[in-house]
Amino acid sequence: MIEKDKLKEYAQKLMFDMDEKEYETLQKEFDVIIRRMDVIDKIPNLHEVKPMSFPFLLDDRSLRNDEVGDYLTVGEVLSNAKHQVNDQVKVPKVVEE
Amino acid sequence: MIKDLRKELDEGKISSEELFDITVKKAKEEQDKYNSFVTIIDKYKIKRRADSILKGIPYALKDNISTSNILTTASSNILKDYVPIYDATVYRKLKNAGAVLVGKTTLDELAMGGTGTTAATGVVKNPWNPDCLIGGSSAGSAAAVALGIVPFAIGSDTGDSIRKPASFGGVVGFKPTYGRISRYGLFAFASSLDHVGVFTRSVEDAAIVTDVVKGYDNYDMTSLKDDGKSYSEELDKPLTHKKLCYIKEICDIKEYKDSEIVETLTKFQKLLDECRNNGFQVDEVSIDRRLLESIYPVYMIISCAEATSNNANLTGIQFGPRGEGNNIEEIMFSARTKGFSELIKRRFILGSYILQKENQEKLFLNACRVRRLIVDRVNEIFKDYDGIILPASGKGAPSFDKSTEQVTDGQVILENHMAIGNFGGFPSITIPFTFVNDMPVGVNITGRAMEDDIVLHIAKEIESITGLKGLKAGDRNV
Repeated sequence: MIEKDKLKEYAQKLMFDMDEKEYETLQKEFDVIIRRMDVIDKIPNLHEVKPMSFPFLLDDRSLRNDEVGDYLTVGEVLSNAKHQVNDQVKVPKVVEE
Repeated sequence: MIKDLRKELDEGKISSEELFDITVKKAKEEQDKYNSFVTIIDKYKIKRRADSILKGIPYALKDNISTSNILTTASSNILKDYVPIYDATVYRKLKNAGAVLVGKTTLDELAMGGTGTTAATGVVKNPWNPDCLIGGSSAGSAAAVALGIVPFAIGSDTGDSIRKPASFGGVVGFKPTYGRISRYGLFAFASSLDHVGVFTRSVEDAAIVTDVVKGYDNYDMTSLKDDGKSYSEELDKPLTHKKLCYIKEICDIKEYKDSEIVETLTKFQKLLDECRNNGFQVDEVSIDRRLLESIYPVYMIISCAEATSNNANLTGIQFGPRGEGNNIEEIMFSARTKGFSELIKRRFILGSYILQKENQEKLFLNACRVRRLIVDRVNEIFKDYDGIILPASGKGAPSFDKSTEQVTDGQVILENHMAIGNFGGFPSITIPFTFVNDMPVGVNITGRAMEDDIVLHIAKEIESITGLKGLKAGDRNV
């Protein structure tokens, strides 16, 4: 079974926390999921297969040309930010005085 | 049905304002009981110069689709006050067609769930029986159509998030070929699996709505060039693609003990016989059981890994509720801890585990390899057959006390096979086909990528066999 501390480490990397009971639930679920994932290992010669990242090849892609068009105003960009100052998102100082 | 409403509007029997008012009234009346909506729109708004079959027709959008100046929460606390500043392409197209938005529908938080029970605003109940779930993640869209509030609703589908709730709700759910409908403005869950699609009460309506919202979009790098077809017009031509197959390992009645599953599979075989009587060739094919058993883990691995990355922008800094703390890291940490539910956190941790350097080869890349093997095998089947037909669920919607979002060993191939449609981007549709224990059960048809018109056409023929066109909660026609 995966260690609870390991799960806490992943949560920290993802920048959130859970309570002890939630970690325990996850620990049990992990066990089931990892076991289920073992099914994949039973498939022979997997290393010879090219991983598939998208449903099918889209080989006619090209980057679109840069074109001047409508753009967002500063007011629109900031409309959902809770803290603002001088047309910018305000956050605590990063550099200590 | 859309054509009936069109006729009434054109003949002046009802105005689109009146239709909007009736729709909003019904949406509000049903809201407390079923919780289909996150937001019900009070203000009638239509593009008057529009000229399309959908002009004046009310509809609903899943709340993970961006709508400028309209709250869009993805049913998550981390976006509970987010008001987008741009329109998703699917919304823009419907707006330009003159369709009238009446609400944003409830979903499993961030579209990461299959029960309709994990929205921050509460569970969505099944209109056929409020003690049962409707399935998810496009739960509210399915419920709003099943209740007859709107004739169509837009959803998204990453594993079966349109087609499973369609089955549980007794409605039509269609996910076209990957890239057929633009994903621009859809909040990404797992980009390589995400599709936008439609809920309706008939196959013809699914074709009508898809005709309006499909097409190439410069803002979506995986968008397909339009095929130039009118799917609704194609339905009027004779169907020449009538070779279907079903997968032996999924439909073998001997494998199941549950009496409701046995009943579903027995009725499914009866449907296949009726298809044969109506000119279809229906054969049994086989797929390596190891591949079928891999569908669910492959889906979990790929979707959780992609979701972990896609949702890294939810920090509470630029948008969403601000967390507390003395520096940016603490603020983000607090916002994400409070903003995500337990289920979402569990999925993200799983995704993070999969993406750790030491697990990438064994888990993520191997899952991507098995994805290819499954898609290759299905494409091989499509060399001989126009479509694969299977039950969309083993039985009707489970009751809330029998459902769980935790992954258990009991989950079987029968309940997870529709993710094949996402792995290969295949067009895939669920239509109602029977009732088991008084709850609707759907049948799913999946076809070759790019052949959306053929899948719709096959579904329409089968719809005429089942006689379950236009089903609404409460109807019981079998």
